[in-house]
Amino acid sequence: MSGVGVRGAERFWVIVLLLPTLLGLALGAFGSIAATIGISLFQWDLLSPARWVGFDNYLALPENRSFLKALGNTALFSAMYVPATLSISLVVAVLLNQRIRAVGLFRLIYFIPVVTSPTAVGLVWTWIYSRDKGVLNAIVTTFGGEPVHWLGSDMALYSVVIVNVWGAIGEGMIIFLGGLQAIPRDVYEAATIDGASRFQQFLAVTVPMLLPSIFFQAVLSTIHAFQAFDYVYILTQTGNGGSSLPMLVFNIYREGFNYFRMGNASAQSVVLAVIVLGLTLVYSRLNKRWGQHG
Amino acid sequence: MKALFSAAAFSALALSATAGIAQTNLTYMMWGDPPEIAVWEAIVGEFEAANPDIKVKVEVSDWDSYWDKLRVTTVGGNPPDVFAMDAPLYPDWQSRGSLLDLSPYLAAAPETLDGVYPGPLSAYQLSAGTFGLPRDFQTIVLFYNKAMFDAAGVAYPDDSWTLDDLRAAAKKLTIDKDGDGQTDQWGLGTELWDMEPMWGPVLYSYGGAPISEDHKKTTLGDAAAAEAWKFLADFRLNDGSVMSQEDLESYGSDGFLAGVAAMTFSGHWVVPAYSDLAFDWDVAPFPKGPAGRATLVNSAGIVVSASTPNPDAAWKFVQFVISEKGQSKLTELGFAIPVIDKVANSPVFLEQKARGNHKVFLDALAYAHTKPSFRGYEEWSAAVGDTLALVWNGEMTIEDALAEIVPNADAALAGNQ
Repeated sequence: MSGVGVRGAERFWVIVLLLPTLLGLALGAFGSIAATIGISLFQWDLLSPARWVGFDNYLALPENRSFLKALGNTALFSAMYVPATLSISLVVAVLLNQRIRAVGLFRLIYFIPVVTSPTAVGLVWTWIYSRDKGVLNAIVTTFGGEPVHWLGSDMALYSVVIVNVWGAIGEGMIIFLGGLQAIPRDVYEAATIDGASRFQQFLAVTVPMLLPSIFFQAVLSTIHAFQAFDYVYILTQTGNGGSSLPMLVFNIYREGFNYFRMGNASAQSVVLAVIVLGLTLVYSRLNKRWGQHG
Repeated sequence: MKALFSAAAFSALALSATAGIAQTNLTYMMWGDPPEIAVWEAIVGEFEAANPDIKVKVEVSDWDSYWDKLRVTTVGGNPPDVFAMDAPLYPDWQSRGSLLDLSPYLAAAPETLDGVYPGPLSAYQLSAGTFGLPRDFQTIVLFYNKAMFDAAGVAYPDDSWTLDDLRAAAKKLTIDKDGDGQTDQWGLGTELWDMEPMWGPVLYSYGGAPISEDHKKTTLGDAAAAEAWKFLADFRLNDGSVMSQEDLESYGSDGFLAGVAAMTFSGHWVVPAYSDLAFDWDVAPFPKGPAGRATLVNSAGIVVSASTPNPDAAWKFVQFVISEKGQSKLTELGFAIPVIDKVANSPVFLEQKARGNHKVFLDALAYAHTKPSFRGYEEWSAAVGDTLALVWNGEMTIEDALAEIVPNADAALAGNQ
């Protein structure tokens, strides 16, 4: 980071002004991370005193069927969600970066899902996907098809990915629009003079110059994917408070609060955090390698 | 919020200090619907009139947030003094030392239990002591919509009905009114994920049981259960007369209330809402199975926190809730059956404002099994219900499901020993 240097008395004020945020971060974020790691080494049911078990909670995870199922679901979900969100929001951003009529309106429309309550939107999607009275199946049956059980165990994963991608396009679009506006016009002019088509320009100019934004958005999407909860839960919840497509975060909640196993739930949280951290490091490596030549 | 409460408590304390009265403040927390608050305020009002030195604050939450709130306040060292307990979850809370043993109080005042129904009471009596008392209870019976039976020319259910009669009637009552190929009226609309409304009673009436007596082994896969599962799966999946979970959800989870299901299995808790229905309905005993008639009884209990600073005052409140006076008031709610026989057999219950033949609920006690209650219940019931849901949706056969359910449920039991 190069920027304005801070010296002497100014440094004092910088620290003073940052202190409230730093304290909040230290106690709130780092405090709860430390607590989670600590709890993961105990057997604790919330109500009776915790018992030290070392790494037992971690060693039990490979045999925990609900954890493995949730981990598998989350991995599959992420493998579809991250590339889909990135590519679609990139295309939308490029299209909405053109000089077209009412571009502000279109940008707004794409951004609306980001600021709408997931609960409300989730209910609307439940209705769209409904087997007997759903909008989607009304279309399918009109064309002579058999009604599809969109939220049944075969299709739920795909249906849920679609809703989540739909909900995330707006956020990616904003990031990419920011990145696009930072690309100097003259690069495109030079490419045009060299005879590059619009598509060639997209591949040879836009994508490489956007790589830092793409990596940044990839990190964000991955974090979101591994923490996916709201839409998934609303769309797949079963009568008994379960989910036909349990994700990691849902499983952690259930294990800790419903089954009185805080230590086990904390161990799962730590594993989740390590996975996300690992993927972030990979992205950051890739970014260093390819994203810095702009 | 909490700061506000403690500020309020502090000023109340300061006030009573100046007035020179030593006042005890209790918090009573329960799950429930908004209409229940007013009745509980009335119960508390009578209790406070008899005990001027005790003030009780009633806090009501919906089912899901109730348990979260209870866990968080208990962990935070600030649990409510007195709170409601669902009988199946009682061992989970009791075994973790969070409930006060009421045995010494009961020994000093044995008359408290006079006339309390032994069935619901037994769920709270453990070898370690009695850490709670039933507050009210529920039995499952068959509700039927008279208008739909009349229109279809089907005779009303009575105590001669078998499960096969039920299935035949449900089929006749399933109607596609506008001929668009989609069902508009179902014979039966009932929740199938939990054992309580339907599959538990059916299992028992075929001679099966969900779990062994000692709560160490899941018996859902036993031979006696197999016929019951076959009946349930065929009924749900082949006849088209039982609403699916998705159907139920699109009608606010209650097809009977929505007027699209001719019958449902439920407890007395729906009676206040059903009293406002425009159509005529009544109740009948749970239909008989090959091994006789069965249903489930489950109670809501009242317990005292082990860490309450005012156990004596808390006990007085519990005693009042169980008393004839408290139970009569509680019965006015119409949500449940009172736990003392004197009130249950009195006009207060039998001739209450809410509609229905209330005696059918009471008589059900004679053939009811107590809903199983053991440590790890919630995890066990999730292991069962999660997979069973796939069967009711037609995505898995009952045989495959049981092959998965039984080891998972037994693992949940083993993990909670």
